Amino acid sequence: MFPVAGPVAGCREIEGSAMHRRKFSPWPYLLIAPALITILAVVFFPVLNAILMSFQSYDLRRPSQIRFTGLANYATAMHDPLFWQALLKTVIWVAVGVGLQFVFGFMLALLLNRKFPGRGIVRSISLIPWVTPGVLIGLMWRWIFDGNYGVLNDLLMRLGLIHDKIPFLAQQSTAFPSVILTIIWQGIPFFALMLLAGLQGIPEELYDAASVDGANAFQRFFLITVPSLKNTIFVTTLLRIIWVANSVDVIFNLTEGGPAYSTQTLSVYVFNKGNTLNLGYASTMAILLALALALVAVPYLKKLFKAQEESR
Amino acid sequence: MKRKLVFILMTVLSMAATVAVSAQQKPVSIVHWYWADNPAYSAQMQKIAADFNATNGKGIMVVAQEYPWDGGAYSETLFRAVMGGGGPDTSSFKLTSTPLFTANRLLANLDDFLAKWKDKDKIEPSLYDTMKKASGTKSVYVMPWNTQVLYVYYRPSLFRKAGVSVPKTYAEFLEACKKLTMDTNGDGKTDVYGFGMRGAKGGQEPWGSFIWARGGNFDNLATPQAIQGMQDFIDLYRNGYAPPTAPMDGFNEIIANFKSGKTAMTVHHIGSSIGMVDTFGDDVDAFPFPGGVGQWTSMGDTENILLASSKNKEAAFEWLAYLATGKGQEAWCVATGNVPVSRDVQQLPFFQNNRFMKVSIEGAPYAGIFPILDTTTEWINTIWPNTVAAALGGKMSAADAMKQLQIGLWGK
Repeated sequence: MFPVAGPVAGCREIEGSAMHRRKFSPWPYLLIAPALITILAVVFFPVLNAILMSFQSYDLRRPSQIRFTGLANYATAMHDPLFWQALLKTVIWVAVGVGLQFVFGFMLALLLNRKFPGRGIVRSISLIPWVTPGVLIGLMWRWIFDGNYGVLNDLLMRLGLIHDKIPFLAQQSTAFPSVILTIIWQGIPFFALMLLAGLQGIPEELYDAASVDGANAFQRFFLITVPSLKNTIFVTTLLRIIWVANSVDVIFNLTEGGPAYSTQTLSVYVFNKGNTLNLGYASTMAILLALALALVAVPYLKKLFKAQEESR
Repeated sequence: MKRKLVFILMTVLSMAATVAVSAQQKPVSIVHWYWADNPAYSAQMQKIAADFNATNGKGIMVVAQEYPWDGGAYSETLFRAVMGGGGPDTSSFKLTSTPLFTANRLLANLDDFLAKWKDKDKIEPSLYDTMKKASGTKSVYVMPWNTQVLYVYYRPSLFRKAGVSVPKTYAEFLEACKKLTMDTNGDGKTDVYGFGMRGAKGGQEPWGSFIWARGGNFDNLATPQAIQGMQDFIDLYRNGYAPPTAPMDGFNEIIANFKSGKTAMTVHHIGSSIGMVDTFGDDVDAFPFPGGVGQWTSMGDTENILLASSKNKEAAFEWLAYLATGKGQEAWCVATGNVPVSRDVQQLPFFQNNRFMKVSIEGAPYAGIFPILDTTTEWINTIWPNTVAAALGGKMSAADAMKQLQIGLWGK
């Protein structure tokens, strides 16, 4: 019997030969090699190194005592009250910080989506907090909050809201709200910008049709605007959660985690430990922070992908 | 043929001579790191390096690079740079960082250089002993440069206004803090605080004087005497004799508060004296931190090191020697007001007639340093400011705070 000849067999033959050529062609690998090697060198290797260090007593103040200690650093973290306090601070820092960034960012995006004279200038100005480096933001707000010469105290006193100056960053009760206020100020333009881009992609006809059907502004917002921006909201929020949780620069330049550890989030604690050269313990807490973020990010992304699949 | 050979030989010889001469004159570059408290000091260090480059006659070119002190983080910046295979040939340095650097074998042993150095005896032998003690070895790894003894700056005009005389005892000092806290315009609010307290990094130095004044010491921070010293420190804040911002006030804040008239006294060293005189003229003076049961003040130090990784150690040592006993010592100490380590420079009229230098010298007999342990850096940078902030904020008792500080420093 001869093999069956025909279109199907011919296609298989063509596909087979194409696959054969793709399989053995080195070009794709050579082309992605530079990017792959770079990623391995600057991302994979440091992460791997951090994981390895987290299992060692890697303290450069005692280099002769560096050795494998298994899960000892993880056990230390579980019994370290500062670790748990920093974790709780991180949750509050992210929830309140990102939450209010989103709310005010959305409000700003809706405002900037309207047509009014000078809109371009207002849009540009509103980006200033986002393009300002975190270190500069920390220093700037440190002076704004200053208990002796700060402009915030001056304003509040002139408005008659306070009678004595408040040492915002020197009191445990006011230091943490102050740093959260700073991060909110910094992050609003990011949400505003991303949501504004999303808003401009919503067809005007949808609003027109809804208005014809008698939908009020509230209904138009929750039944058209929000669902249309669902993917943008998902992605931007996830990005900000990760960035804010990992953020060190603003807090460090405002308070260095003080007073009395009251503004020490987990990333600041990692930074402080790393600064004192206890790299093993710093790596352990960094890994735990990454795992905690993964716990948030993975279900979040799954839900996002599922929603995207359903919308197709 | 013979003429040709001679010609070739002459050519080779002249080329070799040219190479030898150019090699001899080839400048050796030394990178030096330093920090400066203000732009004037920064310019002064650049000038010292330029003068050295112009006068050393050995083709040594020092490139002075400034890095921020950053409340002590300079030491970690330097450490990371050197551990990463970079960093300078020489650097300004604090003695407290010695164990970290020697444990990682980053410092060059200076014994052989010192043995051959003609100016070795211009520096007090006790200073070399201190350098050896810091490294925990019998070798010198750190080159002495200058010291600063902490004392109390005060405003004579405010003292007159409050009817206070210069305190001679610790009890009088505490009383002065109280009396100098004044409402000068009658609006019911404090306008001048008696004591400019430093609660942020670096505040452990003036704080140490309170501990010792009550009879405590750093070997055991949990003794009743040490706890009483801490209680005094807390009371100054809680009673309103120090600015409310004190828990987060660092160097810049205490100096700004003093210069703006917000505080009547503050503790710092002679390095600030030039700025103080610029601001107040004669209306600023100083006295040694008074003693009670005991007496102690912090001896700050700024030294220099030669990194083991330097490829030009001989030339680098020439530069360090210039800073220790040469013109560099005089120029830096005159500009900053720091106490010179060179006995020759100490005898110059500038230092003999300076009122702040006089107070520094008065404090020298009981001036000391914190225990140099591998925990010291973390204790200074993180544990001390946060623990004291908790105590000042009323979240922790003096006894609990001292217990925590004891564990943080000594591990038990």
